[in-house]
Amino acid sequence: MRTALVLSLAALLPGQALAANQVALNNSVFVERVSTDASGKQRVLLEEPKVVVPGDRLVFVLNYRNAGAQPADKFVITNPMPSAVRFADAGDTQSLVSVDGGKQWGLLSELTVAMADGTRRAAQPADVTHVRWAFQKPIPVGGTGKLMFRGVVK
Amino acid sequence: MTSMLNYMGLGMVACASIAATPAYANGTTAGTSITNTATVDYQVGGVAQGQQSASNSFVVDRRVNLLVEEVGNATTEVAPGQTSAVTTFQLTNSSNEILDFLLTASQITGGVATHGGTDTFNASNIRIYRDAATGTPGSYDVADVLVTYIDELATDTPIRLFVVADIPAGLPTGAVAGIQLRATALEGGTAGTQGAAVTQTAGANTAAKDTVFADGVGVNDANRDASHSDADDYTVKTATLTVTKSSRVVSDPFNGTTNPKLIPGATVEYCIAVANAAGGADATSVAINDSVPGQLAFVAGSIRLNGTVTGGTCNADGTTGGSYAAPVVSGTIATIAAGAARTLIFQALVN
Repeated sequence: MRTALVLSLAALLPGQALAANQVALNNSVFVERVSTDASGKQRVLLEEPKVVVPGDRLVFVLNYRNAGAQPADKFVITNPMPSAVRFADAGDTQSLVSVDGGKQWGLLSELTVAMADGTRRAAQPADVTHVRWAFQKPIPVGGTGKLMFRGVVK
Repeated sequence: MTSMLNYMGLGMVACASIAATPAYANGTTAGTSITNTATVDYQVGGVAQGQQSASNSFVVDRRVNLLVEEVGNATTEVAPGQTSAVTTFQLTNSSNEILDFLLTASQITGGVATHGGTDTFNASNIRIYRDAATGTPGSYDVADVLVTYIDELATDTPIRLFVVADIPAGLPTGAVAGIQLRATALEGGTAGTQGAAVTQTAGANTAAKDTVFADGVGVNDANRDASHSDADDYTVKTATLTVTKSSRVVSDPFNGTTNPKLIPGATVEYCIAVANAAGGADATSVAINDSVPGQLAFVAGSIRLNGTVTGGTCNADGTTGGSYAAPVVSGTIATIAAGAARTLIFQALVN
């Protein structure tokens, strides 16, 4: 199993004051292992994704930092679900999700999925195609944060 | 940090409640790379900035898992001397990769067989057949293919296997032979060729896909050994016949049917009763032959078949049949059920 971290700048638009404003984003993944101790209490361990087989629970962790010289506004982090991972939950990070490939966004409990017969049913975690966090306040200079969501290897 | 978000430390993540791990039949194919990419869009001073992204990828490892199951959950009843007696099993590749599977059929020696009864004999000529889509799928027939291993078995697609053996002659009802079938995962990838043994990745994680054994304990294999096994058995069910012959004087020329005596000219009725012991199999096509003693003359048309016995005494019933070729009386009874007795009756005159 190899893990690779890639941090890249997408194409820059010319004529904008970008050089001094950088946001650092770091993406890592852990395997969540549950063990039960003698007293029946469950313990959760987070491990590097060394041995990963179908059915394993994954925790994706996103670290962000405003490394620029000015506050970052309208800060939106978007994470499409890898095709081989089924979304489980996003903890209490108040994420928005999309169940239609990123067209519509909302809380999972508010979204619906069209059925073959034309009716709509409530969206399930397995329907999630994208996860998004939209910050309402600017990220101050040097501000950092951590976001997470869980998934299961299909 | 100013945002609507709660700061999520990893410690808090770890405290969150965990649902039961969902069971995936086979899942993502081993070797698949899972890449997660997140992007950030933001503005500085009201001006949209370039999008940033961060990715992370890992490779899904190989989970080797298989299931051998006996089908039917009942013993196979066999007759002594029966050839090609069939026990049925099912093999499922629950791994996340297509694999070959080596098959090994074996017999237990002594001990209690899986469906009860003590193992007392060994069947001979044990073979393994894979159920074919032609012929009668699900049942052993001539279309099925003799195999020693299963080639390139797709994931989560159970296949039916028949362990076929010959039963020795001369066994009593209740004799039991325990059969076991074990499958062992082999490397797949080359159709038509038996793959090498799979090995679990030892020690540290490697860059390539690793192998993890996830199979359970079978009847003759260990936990997480890339093998699984189950058991079935043969139970002999045969007919045990006992023959008794009796005679009585029916009439004589002087007394008629009242207290007849065994004098020349008297009519004697012979009864050959065949009893089939309870608890065994029905006996079919039971052929009875009896020679008429030289001092007697067979009464033509007197043979009656399939009569009954009450309390050890022949009832003078049955239907006319059989044949006579001097001096032998013959008749065939179609079926004698277990626990029942049937008769052949004929009459002769004393010379």
